[in-house]
Amino acid sequence: MKTTYSEMQLDALRELANIGSGTAATALSSMLGRPVDVSVPSALALPLADAVDAAGPAEDTVTAVVLPIFGDFDGIVLLLFPPADAATLCGLLGVEADSEYGLSALGEIGNILGSAYVGALGMMTGLGLEPRPPQTVTDMLGAIVASVLATGAESSDVALVLDSDLIVEGTQCSLSFMLVPSRNGVGEVLAGLGLVG
Amino acid sequence: MIAERPETMVRMGELAVSGEAGMALVALGLGSCIGLVLLDTARPIAGLAHIVLPDSNGDGDAPAGKFADRAVPALIDAMKAAGSLVSRLEAILIGGAHMFSLGGGSESTLNIGKRNEDATRAALKHAGIPVRIAETGGGNGRTVRVEVESGRVLVKHPGAPEVELYAR
Repeated sequence: MKTTYSEMQLDALRELANIGSGTAATALSSMLGRPVDVSVPSALALPLADAVDAAGPAEDTVTAVVLPIFGDFDGIVLLLFPPADAATLCGLLGVEADSEYGLSALGEIGNILGSAYVGALGMMTGLGLEPRPPQTVTDMLGAIVASVLATGAESSDVALVLDSDLIVEGTQCSLSFMLVPSRNGVGEVLAGLGLVG
Repeated sequence: MIAERPETMVRMGELAVSGEAGMALVALGLGSCIGLVLLDTARPIAGLAHIVLPDSNGDGDAPAGKFADRAVPALIDAMKAAGSLVSRLEAILIGGAHMFSLGGGSESTLNIGKRNEDATRAALKHAGIPVRIAETGGGNGRTVRVEVESGRVLVKHPGAPEVELYAR
């Protein structure tokens, strides 16, 4: 099945990602006691295979926090921490990256940021959204992204990916956010924004 | 990656067949997806499909390799078009991992990796093609590389070197 979105719809989704990641940046900033910048988000509707390619080198090992959302719309929020960035972030929090504490700290960051992001989404769209407990995985980037995209691929060959980066000021540390709504989820979100899905 | 080894990347939902000596077919980062390898037992012809989901539910517009129920016959047809015979085909399965669970709902709708493997095996059985070896399930991603000429199937896990899973 082919799926297309208008420029206006993509703009609205981009704005949504901007506000979601802005809220998450504020949460991260108060955790770290440092300013956190947000990149200009992108909203891309891509064929599945291209969406995986766009995420980065498929075999790179990354740590990811997967946060499923259920409620008026279903989807997945994915936070990606490249290894060097994960280590920097853990350092700022005073824990070893390659330890159980490191992983659990990243999971907790994912939980707080993801919840802030999802909360902002719910406020903007007027939809009741409920994040499920986050899961932290360290694996090949391509395998993580493809497995997330597969969950929304039943009825569409196009993945809608809202992508934004948070950059911790004064460090090389950045992490990226992806929101992957299920096909029905996109319709719900657009309807919540007053745009027909 | 070594430049002088020509490779065809088989991405999500895609499939490819080659009878070209020196060529390799590669699917990078299989998570819940299945990498289905078909080898001709008598000739250097190999095929690879990167299967995403089990059942097309009649969606005929999807990429040929996306759904197990359509990918298996499509890959068999492509092997035949390249000069192979169904009676000479053997299958190897890689992937179908359960990388994370989404919580809620029933397990059958959530473990996409397992459902992908089951659907692929069912379609292969229907076609009468034996599965020689499967490296499936678990919680980690995998990369598969198939060397057309030698019929070697190589699997790589995150942060580990490539190992030979099967050779024709």
